[in-house]
Amino acid sequence: MVDVVLALVLVAIAVALSRVKGLNLERDILLGTLRAFAQLMAIGYLLNFIFDLHRLELVFVLLLIMVLIGGQTSSRRAKSLRGRFLIATCAIGLGTFATLGLLIGLGIIATQPRYLIPLAGMTIGNATRTCSLALERLRSELTSRAGEVEAALALGATSSQAAQHVIRAAVRAAMVPLVDTLKIVGLIQFPGAMTGMILAGAQPLDAVKIQLIIMYMLVAAALIASLSIALLVIRKYFTRDHQLVVL
Amino acid sequence: MPMRIVFEGVGKTRKYYDSQNSLWRQQVVLRDLTFQVEDAEVFTILGPSGAGKSTLLRLVNRLEDPSQGHIMLDGHLASSIDVIALRRDVGMVFQLPAFFPGTVRENVIYGPKLHGTKTGLDGLAETCLAAVGLSPDLLGRRTQDLSVGQQQRVCLARALANGPAILLLDEPTSALDLSATLAMERLIARLAVERRLTVLFVSHDLEQVRRVGQRTMLLIDGHMVELSETEALFTQPQSDLTRRFCAGLWKEEKHG
Ligand SMILES: Nc1ncnc2c1ncn2[C@@H]1O[C@H](COP(=O)(O)OP(=O)(O)OP(=O)(O)O)[C@@H](O)[C@H]1O
Ligand SMILES: [Mg+2]
Repeated sequence: MVDVVLALVLVAIAVALSRVKGLNLERDILLGTLRAFAQLMAIGYLLNFIFDLHRLELVFVLLLIMVLIGGQTSSRRAKSLRGRFLIATCAIGLGTFATLGLLIGLGIIATQPRYLIPLAGMTIGNATRTCSLALERLRSELTSRAGEVEAALALGATSSQAAQHVIRAAVRAAMVPLVDTLKIVGLIQFPGAMTGMILAGAQPLDAVKIQLIIMYMLVAAALIASLSIALLVIRKYFTRDHQLVVL
Repeated sequence: MPMRIVFEGVGKTRKYYDSQNSLWRQQVVLRDLTFQVEDAEVFTILGPSGAGKSTLLRLVNRLEDPSQGHIMLDGHLASSIDVIALRRDVGMVFQLPAFFPGTVRENVIYGPKLHGTKTGLDGLAETCLAAVGLSPDLLGRRTQDLSVGQQQRVCLARALANGPAILLLDEPTSALDLSATLAMERLIARLAVERRLTVLFVSHDLEQVRRVGQRTMLLIDGHMVELSETEALFTQPQSDLTRRFCAGLWKEEKHG
């Protein structure tokens, strides 16, 4: 704990720099520091508590809450669309539970809180970010390519056929950050989980193994989530009679 | 299969967002239109910018629906026909060419492929290109590498590939020079006869309307000002507004 308090010196440096250079970031940095401290301490105690309980249903409830928060966050990117919260939650939930279920089914990870919670947390976080990107891109593509979409409709395409290129573009764009991370991992960037494990004393190869599993899971979950959200949301931009209505 | 189009008291109101005053407003785009377009007729719709010409076309293939009244196609209520089937019978060339990613070939066969045609697509693509006076050499070209005139022809070929009975043309020559415009007009006239197409041709160009249309509707500010034989519209205008518009004296006025 003393270490953490000492590390606050770094924050002080940042605040001082901001003050001197007139960046006007002091408030945000201090608030962010406080929030990070409070949130992480709370989750630390909560995890301790849950790990000690050895109750899987509790783990499930926790994951569900995380998925709901992810859905809520991501759905803000689709203002004015009806049912956005439900759609985003389902998409993120599907991506998370499908991949997690597969890893458990293949016996790659044990059904213990200490594996499930952090893995799901990372997965949900990534799926949320990917879904947000997909939603934003979907809307901007639909607006800029409305002519193309309506040309397809006019030739007798259904809504989903007409939106095919738009959906592809949106999902691809949403996946770019994650896929790029996958390409450079270990070369430029050392991922957080691996770094943490090594700092905490694990063998580098063990850390790498876990990190690989994590990355593969993140990619699969993000793709499932963003593709589902795109397919579910696209219907909201069309009427039942296959007419485009960009809001 | 020729088709007759009947408009009965058709009106269209659109909502739009007024961001200056941050509120939704209503705009009447088309008002109480009643008229019909006969089988295999070339019908021109003439009017200034913003009159509602494009909107009127979009009602026929149901990219939008009327707010009042209804449209009949071949004796059936347009809204009661399966919309996909309807759109296969109604080809449209938009004011601005918009393409799907890929080649000319992929664009031309888009419609037939959607509807399950698997064989003879190459032949069909060539026939359709030939019908609009383009060489089959263009089939493998990417659409963005074509001239605007070629692009507009590819759009027409793409609409023809579905074998439509009605053709909606929204200022199909707006980006062309005079000789290309005249060639396109001749092409459309020939196709209309050969394929027995009912053509709705939108234009804001008086001379063009006079060259192309059998009958012409003058649309200003969503109102049907006059509907007559095209020649009569120019030689014996029924209203003062028509006379002024056709003499090129009409000025943008503030209506409604
Ligand atoms: N997508 C849209 N959303 C809201 N209003 C629109 C939209 N498209 C057109 N309008 C409005 O509807 C009215 C009629 O437009 P329309 O495009 O039918 O006119 P037009 O006669 O085709 O004009 P132009 O010759 O310039 O193409 C215009 O006042 C326009 O502002
Ligand atoms: Mg127009």
